[in-house]
Amino acid sequence: MAAITETQDMSTATTSRQMLLRMVSRVWAWLFLGMLVAVFSVSAPGFFTVRSFQNIGINASETLIVALGQTFVIIAGGIDLSVGFVMGLVSVVAAVVMRALNLAGYPQGLVLLVGVVAGLIIGFIPGLINGLLIARLKAPPFIATLGMLGIAKCFAFLLSGGQTVGRQPDIVRLLGNSYFIYVAPNEPVTFFNPPPGADLRSVLGVMTLPLLIMIITAIVSHFVLAHTRFGQHTYALGGSRDASLRAGIDVDLHTMKLYIVCALLASLGGLVWTMRFNSGSPIAGEALMLNSVAAVVIGGASLFGGEGKVMGTVVGAFIMAVLYTGLVMLNVPPFWQFGAVGVIIIMAVLVDQAQAGIARR
Amino acid sequence: MFRWNRVWQWTLIVVLVLVVLAPTALAEDPAKKPNFAFIAGVNDPFYITMQRGAQQAADLMGVNLIVQIPETWNATVQTPIIDAMLSRGDIDFMFLAPVDKEAMIEPLKRVVDAGIPMLTVDTFIGDGDYANGPVTFPLSYIGSDNVEGGMIAARALAEALGGKGKVYVQNVKPGISTTDQREEGFKKGIAEAPGMELVGVDYNDDDAGKGQAQTAAVLQREPELAGIFGTNVFSAQAAANAVKNAGLSGKVKVVAFDATEFAIQMLKEGTVDLVIAQKPAEMGFFAVEMGMAYLHGYVDIPKRIPTGYAVITRDNMDDPEISKWFYTGQSD
Amino acid sequence: MEPLLAVKDMVKRFGGLTAVNHVSMEVYPYEVVGLVGDNGAGKSTLIKMISGVYKPDGGQIFFQGREVHINSPMEAREMGIETIYQDLALAENLDVGSNIFLGREPTQPFMGGLVRVLDRRYMLAESLKVLERLDIRIPDLTKEIRNLSGGQRQAVAIARAIYWDAKLMIMDEPTAALGVAEQRKVLDLVRMLRDQGVPVIIISHNMQDVFAVADRIVIMRRGIKAGERMARDTTVDEVVSLMVGAETVETA
Repeated sequence: MAAITETQDMSTATTSRQMLLRMVSRVWAWLFLGMLVAVFSVSAPGFFTVRSFQNIGINASETLIVALGQTFVIIAGGIDLSVGFVMGLVSVVAAVVMRALNLAGYPQGLVLLVGVVAGLIIGFIPGLINGLLIARLKAPPFIATLGMLGIAKCFAFLLSGGQTVGRQPDIVRLLGNSYFIYVAPNEPVTFFNPPPGADLRSVLGVMTLPLLIMIITAIVSHFVLAHTRFGQHTYALGGSRDASLRAGIDVDLHTMKLYIVCALLASLGGLVWTMRFNSGSPIAGEALMLNSVAAVVIGGASLFGGEGKVMGTVVGAFIMAVLYTGLVMLNVPPFWQFGAVGVIIIMAVLVDQAQAGIARR
Repeated sequence: MFRWNRVWQWTLIVVLVLVVLAPTALAEDPAKKPNFAFIAGVNDPFYITMQRGAQQAADLMGVNLIVQIPETWNATVQTPIIDAMLSRGDIDFMFLAPVDKEAMIEPLKRVVDAGIPMLTVDTFIGDGDYANGPVTFPLSYIGSDNVEGGMIAARALAEALGGKGKVYVQNVKPGISTTDQREEGFKKGIAEAPGMELVGVDYNDDDAGKGQAQTAAVLQREPELAGIFGTNVFSAQAAANAVKNAGLSGKVKVVAFDATEFAIQMLKEGTVDLVIAQKPAEMGFFAVEMGMAYLHGYVDIPKRIPTGYAVITRDNMDDPEISKWFYTGQSD
Repeated sequence: MEPLLAVKDMVKRFGGLTAVNHVSMEVYPYEVVGLVGDNGAGKSTLIKMISGVYKPDGGQIFFQGREVHINSPMEAREMGIETIYQDLALAENLDVGSNIFLGREPTQPFMGGLVRVLDRRYMLAESLKVLERLDIRIPDLTKEIRNLSGGQRQAVAIARAIYWDAKLMIMDEPTAALGVAEQRKVLDLVRMLRDQGVPVIIISHNMQDVFAVADRIVIMRRGIKAGERMARDTTVDEVVSLMVGAETVETA
């Protein structure tokens, strides 16, 4: 029997130059991030410090958490434009509930628990509706989630009266802003509270809850996408809906699950925001909507589906966070900064095209 | 013959990288003068004018003024800017217009914890009473009394209408301390005049197009409408445009809050009849002054420094004492 | 010998059009049946009734001697009837193993049984085994299959069907998009399947391919079975004329 070998069909003779280009395309986002960090470290005093890097991470936490949800949906070939206002809605719901319970005098731990649960339950609903619209009614994701954006925004503004909701129990801002470890010169290391009497300026806090939540969410997301059936089916759905159907995957159910996951992660982002800013705001996530998609795209995902990795989204989110902070630290005139992210996205698309050209060889 | 191949693609990528990094060449060289950080609320002529006043004081007093402007009016956007300023490690004083009176409390606590004295301009956190209110760590709140400003607008409009008529308010979004207070003051002022009636308040989300559409709808709905109050720059522009497009310039009297070039232009044309100018340049100048005072040990800074208003009409707009309060849109 | 598959008097109507009009056919083990006919002859429709996509409006299906009712493609697969359509139904962005196990991925417990994790090693090992069984060589099983040639992708689709114990293979235009060398290789695979006891129904417009690989040829025309011949007893001309209508004699 004749064997099928590939030598006659595929000319895989790659020159070393092509291999170098191929490698560079795969890691260009990392290289770019590294280059940004290097440039800013050299030119902006104060950039290359633990405090500065930690602040970048903390300020990126909501964006990355929301972007991780977006990653799932984009890999499957969809998109969720409602994430920003789902985040705002959940932030408002949690804050309203916690304010009411706090003013009624309930113990703080209980108030926090009820607030978080209420937020997650409310955040689940837009995910369910998005999933139903897209999977059952076959609505295009762009349109369906755009509609949900409006609905979430409406409820967020109604519940909050358009105002930021304050008067949260102390535990909220403590969880959002206290560090786990405090390091001060000439003082022993303390936990959860700065060393008493120390000059706050010289104290360095390490690790906050938002940062930890961001890290754990990234690790779990990576695990699910790379190592579970759920992740595998997500990639399959993005690669070929037909193949997935014929393989017996319940495509409709899986699609619904993906949009629910995305909404729940947006909700988590909203809860983190509420803790960090000690309040609930309907517009908390307004600026994050496009940034979440940008992070996923810069990280190498294709908007047509089938490609994408959690690490890519992480790098994408950090490229934007590093850019925002570094340009401010260098006091670059604000108007120049506005376009920075746009340029990066264009670069991501170009690199993707260049890499696809090489891969086709 | 030019062919778009991968060489050109990679060249373009390299060029774009350089473009992204080029602005770093514009980064300022910090001098030995004290560094004062000023963070505006959003990009608009009001804050540009404030920057001019601040820069004037900075030049007089030997201060290095570092200015950053958030892309949108949003706490999530303003906070990383503040944190980046802190990370610099060389800021001696900060003044800013906080974009949310609740949410910005935690981020601004970090400024104080870092040992940097700060005050707020134009807007406030907490309730604005830094002496007795829930938030007391900022040094001062320098800004107009917006309730008073709203009342001035109401009284000026009542006077122009002869004490009788239906009026409407174009506002931004609820939750912004300043515009909320202007609305409050306007309502109070209208209540004082028995012949005046408020038919509605709309929120345009700081979107001029939306405001114009809302105003046009009200003009249709209320044929007897006699006056409109626009509570900030964009709101006033939106209302004035709608009035002009409906051909009602002069018949519907428009009171604009904030004296942008556009508002002044409309005043000249007759579409807007009254311009209530704040004094943002004064706010900026005072902020730098107070900062320098504090750094030199003069720490008894008043917790509240109200700045005034100029009421601009077609009759007085050519008087240089009045025209100096116009906001200019270009930064120098 | 008993036929593995026997369809008797199959009928399928779409509105006023009768796409399949009382067609009967048998498939025995160890044979390749070429199903030919012009466009609109009804061969795809007939096949889709066997693979569970369409519900017959009349007739009976017997599989392995028993009458069966096939209500969905999944049911057909569970019985062992595997269909490979022209578009292959493969996920381009996944590797060979992932495609072979799509929808049926093996898992192993992780963290003390708390979570189940994909068993990639098993998928890789099993894929290698089935590819070897079919004498297919693909150098890098971990690459996305979009990097493979058309013939290799066909091979993967066939390997997938074989792995899940196909008892009957149906292939719709398997050589349509392939170059000459690859066409030959796919036909080799078809013969290999037959020799391993898996009969193949192959639909094709390519007379050369049909005569190269089929043992028996069934010709359809406008919904009826126009004729049936043993490949070695007939010619291209005779088959074509049956296709277009010169003869209507049916030979068992």
